[in-house]
Amino acid sequence: MDAGASNIISRIVTPGTLITSDNAYMRGHGTFAEHESIYSSVAGAVERVNKLISVRPLKQRYGGEIGDIVVGRITEVSSKRWRVDVNARQDGVLLLSSIILPGGIQRRKSESDELQMRSFFAEGDLVYAEVQSYFADGALSLHTRSVQYGKLRNGTMVAVFPQLVPRSRTHLHRLPCGVDVVLGVNGYIWISKHVSAAKVEANAEHMYSDQNELISDEERETIARVANCIRLLNRMYVKITETSINFAYESSLPHAVKDLLKTDIAQELADSVKAQLLQQA
Amino acid sequence: MASLLVSPAEQDYITRGVEKGIRCDGRSNLDRRQVTLRTDMISQANGSARCRTGDLGLGTDVLVGIKAEVNTWQPGEPEDQGSIVCSVECSPSAAQEFEGRGAEDLNVELTQLLDRILNGPQSGIDLQKLCIIPKQAYWGSIVDTLMWATRAALLSTKLPRVVVETISDENGDTQAEFDVVDDPEDVAPLEGADNLPITVTFNQIGKRYVLDASEQEEAITQAKITVAVSPKREICAVQKGGILQTAQRVSQEELKRFGRAVRGGQGRGGTGRCRGKHRLDIPQPVLIS
Repeated sequence: MDAGASNIISRIVTPGTLITSDNAYMRGHGTFAEHESIYSSVAGAVERVNKLISVRPLKQRYGGEIGDIVVGRITEVSSKRWRVDVNARQDGVLLLSSIILPGGIQRRKSESDELQMRSFFAEGDLVYAEVQSYFADGALSLHTRSVQYGKLRNGTMVAVFPQLVPRSRTHLHRLPCGVDVVLGVNGYIWISKHVSAAKVEANAEHMYSDQNELISDEERETIARVANCIRLLNRMYVKITETSINFAYESSLPHAVKDLLKTDIAQELADSVKAQLLQQA
Repeated sequence: MASLLVSPAEQDYITRGVEKGIRCDGRSNLDRRQVTLRTDMISQANGSARCRTGDLGLGTDVLVGIKAEVNTWQPGEPEDQGSIVCSVECSPSAAQEFEGRGAEDLNVELTQLLDRILNGPQSGIDLQKLCIIPKQAYWGSIVDTLMWATRAALLSTKLPRVVVETISDENGDTQAEFDVVDDPEDVAPLEGADNLPITVTFNQIGKRYVLDASEQEEAITQAKITVAVSPKREICAVQKGGILQTAQRVSQEELKRFGRAVRGGQGRGGTGRCRGKHRLDIPQPVLIS
């Protein structure tokens, strides 16, 4: 790499910053060309792949990919479909044909199902779903055709930057502290009391119920602690994975839950998580 | 007010958490988030302050500017006092629902509340016309933050000295004239600003009340009550809001219980003066049952 190229990458730029006036480069995402120079159109880090220059934004909306595990919130019930807020540029769509109807996977949908769509998902409900495909206009089509997907209960949601949640093999984690987290790739994270898979399968008829289980005070404290750990990791711009949450949780134990978001404690915890992640790598 | 959606399961989780005194971020019902207060933010204004309620630099953000203006007296106005003209604006960049005319209702509500608190006899300020333009940048617990910022801004306000001269004209009548001294050093603080009240807002969730509700908690709030209290522990204004009108009896009981808890546990409220950048001690609610 020549000296000019090293000037280009590993720089933080704001919209309108001149990245290079060398016309040997091509412009990629997050840039625009004017007067044969390349400028940044977003605030973020400059990246270069051979001759292609792009800027990775610090803050962005979720751009979906097929197979992603997401957490979404129903915003609208319309004919044969739900609109779902997935933190993307436009709402995703969950078709009535892409959910499991109560009474078994094999059941076919009937007209009465169309009339009682709100008894499955109503406005405001949170769903755990997978991206099935794209529509022509770029909207995401979701599906919940698996027993582990569906309505979320027994917990609380935290919204984080989507770019901090990496894609991985599993997104439903049971943490050692006894709490379940669903790391939606779209930046919506669900933290809830652990309910065993066997119990979920046994209660298949209640899969669309709004009824929470009994949650003890200790479980509430633990959920709040995990939620605050995720909030502070997000604020300090640390990748949010099962490992980083566990590190943050372990380091946070000496502090009271409500103190975790105090600036100095949050900084200290984030630094310790970063150090532990580096050590592991 | 807020258009935030909350699922029934989340609502149940929050409500039961509040009943047990463990909220979603680990606070108990009477805990506040961090409050940051800075004064003298706007150099062109006579007084200004910025107050933020929320952790890690997020949360409700209010900027208040105070501008002193000399006004000519109009018939019908009180003869010996000026007034404070308030205007509250919510920045459309703060939230999507403030876009266009979305913030109008909220602006009017907050403006009137502020107006009632500041222009009543309880605020004890009788000076020239002041203009207040707060601006907010996020949601959750806005009234209290607004009031802290306004109080701090008025406390930091310095008015130029005014020289009053009496001149007698050829008919022997005396006429008063005044000059505003144009010296930035020759200023005096606003009299009576020490006695300004602060507000404490309680949000009812289920059968309990919480202080400093988060965005989500505010979305499921059934009723809320804002009490303005002066440093002398006098109630200056009360505003009720929300959908559940039958909540009045519960609120009385709960307020009494909170009054006891606060008096027993924390003593006097800290509403100290601030200079430059300070992290304010979390203002404790001062309650009188």
